[in-house]
Amino acid sequence: MAESTVIPEDLKPLAPPAELRRAPVVENNRRLGALTDQLSQFAEGKIPRWWWILFIPAAFCATVLLPVALVYQVSAGVGVWGNNHPVMWGLDIVSFIWWVGVAHAGTLISALLFLTRQHWRTTIGRAAEAMTVFSVMMAGLYPAIHVGRAWFDWFMFPIPNSNGLWPQFRSPLMWDVFAVNTYLVVSMLFWFMGMIPDLAVLRDRATTRPRKFILSLAAMGWTGSARHWHHYEKAYVVLCGLCTLLVFTVSSIVGLDFCTSQLAGWHATIFPLYFVIGAVFCGFGMILVILIPLRKWLRLENVITLSHMDKVAKLALVSGLIIAYIYSMEFFIAWYSNDPYERWVFGHRLFGHTYWFLGWILIGVNVGVTQLLWFKKIRANMKALFVIGLLINLGMFTERFVIVVGSLYQDFLPANWGVYLPTRWDVALYAGSLGAFFMLYLLFIKFLPFIAISEVKGATPQGNPHHPLGGAKGGRS
Amino acid sequence: MGSHNEKSHLPPPLDLSRWSRLPAVLMIAGGVAALVGAGVSPKEFGLSWLLSFLFYLSLALGALFLVMVHHLTDAGWSVGIRRFCEHLASLLFPWLALLFVPVLLLAPQIYHWLTLPPTDELIRARWPVFTRAGFAVVSGLFFAVWWLLSSRLRYWSLRQDVTGDALCTHRMRFHSGWGIVAYAATLTGASVLWMQSVQYQFFSAIYGVYFFSGCAWIALATVYVIAVLLQRQRILAGLLKENYFYFIGVLFFAFTIFSAYNEFAQYFVVWNANMPEETFWYLIRENRSWWCLSLILIFGKFFLPFFVMLPVKVKTSLKVMVPVCLWAWLMQFADLAYNVLPAMPQYHFPLASLWIPFACLAFMGGFLSWVFLRQFRSHPPYPQKDPRLLEAMGISLPEEENPPATAPIHGGRS
Repeated sequence: MAESTVIPEDLKPLAPPAELRRAPVVENNRRLGALTDQLSQFAEGKIPRWWWILFIPAAFCATVLLPVALVYQVSAGVGVWGNNHPVMWGLDIVSFIWWVGVAHAGTLISALLFLTRQHWRTTIGRAAEAMTVFSVMMAGLYPAIHVGRAWFDWFMFPIPNSNGLWPQFRSPLMWDVFAVNTYLVVSMLFWFMGMIPDLAVLRDRATTRPRKFILSLAAMGWTGSARHWHHYEKAYVVLCGLCTLLVFTVSSIVGLDFCTSQLAGWHATIFPLYFVIGAVFCGFGMILVILIPLRKWLRLENVITLSHMDKVAKLALVSGLIIAYIYSMEFFIAWYSNDPYERWVFGHRLFGHTYWFLGWILIGVNVGVTQLLWFKKIRANMKALFVIGLLINLGMFTERFVIVVGSLYQDFLPANWGVYLPTRWDVALYAGSLGAFFMLYLLFIKFLPFIAISEVKGATPQGNPHHPLGGAKGGRS
Repeated sequence: MGSHNEKSHLPPPLDLSRWSRLPAVLMIAGGVAALVGAGVSPKEFGLSWLLSFLFYLSLALGALFLVMVHHLTDAGWSVGIRRFCEHLASLLFPWLALLFVPVLLLAPQIYHWLTLPPTDELIRARWPVFTRAGFAVVSGLFFAVWWLLSSRLRYWSLRQDVTGDALCTHRMRFHSGWGIVAYAATLTGASVLWMQSVQYQFFSAIYGVYFFSGCAWIALATVYVIAVLLQRQRILAGLLKENYFYFIGVLFFAFTIFSAYNEFAQYFVVWNANMPEETFWYLIRENRSWWCLSLILIFGKFFLPFFVMLPVKVKTSLKVMVPVCLWAWLMQFADLAYNVLPAMPQYHFPLASLWIPFACLAFMGGFLSWVFLRQFRSHPPYPQKDPRLLEAMGISLPEEENPPATAPIHGGRS
């Protein structure tokens, strides 16, 4: 709806009542220059105390805990993990799927909302894309080390070699390798390309020579000419299309890791879609967890507005409802198929022994707690949203644990049954990856433009030259 | 409205008066042929009737979904198409419920499981749904939910035409909120009970989503064609601008991919696990003439529309999109036939008796289009006082009329 005209007199009665008017993308109606100042301020100013408080423990986990856990695991072997017969997949694959999930909402928010022309995505898109990039890195760690002999990882790539070894492309593990790597490359490109105009803004505002030099290299000679914008926008649309497809394919492939088997609890035709939606749901939870404190600490309440948080919460609710639908379908099909193994597995998810309480946690959190988001008061309460975001992440981690361990620990032969418990090395690896993720994220918000400055400005009335307030005609400084 | 937005580049107005008898002709010709079919082969007639019923059901359910999504997303652009989507959705009750009566009467001919003894292991496991009474009660429940939902949404929409009250918008959002949950449950139930159970041994968890994607797909194709006709007839010429067709086209394109994704997911998982209780369903469809239909669906339902609609500009090219939409109707019918007709006694595509499903299709099409046109003519063609109407017309509020800012001004050096 690009046309912006003053309402003709005869149509004035059709103007929406105040309660139904659209909220502006950026509040306070500020001039473009003031907006640039506000959005560049954190990357240019001094480092606040809260940043150090968060950064030091995250950096400890990333630079001490993670390397120690990795070195010990690689040198001693995967036996240091809790994986043992019959549960041969444990926290490694659970963490992998969880990180892939966190990775997906970022791209989905940014790319899909761009394709559907949602202007509000401009304020949160960059934060979400960065979340994608760092969490895919963490996800990629697990397939690389879970093979046991990490120094043979190159066997997974189709590299001609004297041993005549060639990847087994019928193995879902190989699909993971290619899917995750493709996703990492495309999402990094998407993230970096979107930042170029803003890096140029920071370059032009840089006050020291080293900073100007580094930002000049990163901005790749961006001048903001019409030609540059033309190419940029064309490439951006193409990347958005690619990223949206990749969100679906990568998560589907992770789902196929399980459902191509014949194991009860894993083999379901809905699994590819299940993992896509699960990933998106988990990612929305993480977006809430990241954005709610940051909008306050970075004093961006007028840019990442309550209206935007409301929309993110609604999207979390939608994905949560689809997850609830998929849970229902799993139980329904277990009943409908009359397969005794399926009925056994799904019956024991809630009423079995050892892990039954996890089944209730995942239903209670992913289905129950999410329903709170139907209420506008909850969606407007940032503390409540933050807690719900945390719970969604906990619930989705539990869900993956239930899928993996819950289907494995009771084999077809009762004599094979066993119990899985993660060891300290499992936990250390996961904690290390969490630390690495947050360390990278904190570095990102400090040194790079956390909000897409040029996109936000383009979504304001001042950024639209045809608008009555367009250009330099309106806004407060 | 027209005076503000009249497009001078539109071709001359379309005169459809000579087509006004088409619904009656279709009803009579299709009805007579369908009756002959019923006499020749009751079982084939039963499955053909079910197939045609499912085709129109998918269209009406798809339209209901579009109406609810419009309200849930607080969309502005789709105001112009909402009213006729509401009419399409309200075909669900009582009209499609009436057309379901023959399915209920012929159920033992259509569903083999109704003829099995109650001691059969699967029938016993699925008790009480897989009984004659259970089938009728659950089917009635589906129609009751759809009636409640479509009638409430249309009631508040028509009421807003009179009052212009914001309350109507809130009520429509409320009904869409609970409605989308009930919709997902009933649509899935209907797809399993009415369609999947023609071969009752088969089960697939994604089946409901697969049916849903077809519903939305065919509804979008229909919406595109109706929007073109209304624009050419100057009924909605001031409201339906080029971006309308672009948005509908993009959604249609997205559902082309989503539909293929679901079908592929089901096939791939079944093929890879290779479990006999699932593979039998595809083995039937990979043999003899069904194989040809499988290939037609792969290329006709996905690759052809996908590559045709891939370029951005095509989505607003009516000369390309209208044939694609008409093709989509055929493909949706073929897809439903691929699910339903293999339950026929002969194990090949029933080419010789294909006239029976087409006769049923013509009869129901004539009847439902007559109902739709009657409803369309008796109400305003678009929501007259919708709060998003100005936005749909491309008129945005001046910024000073927007609500005052609520957040404090932070940061900034200036």
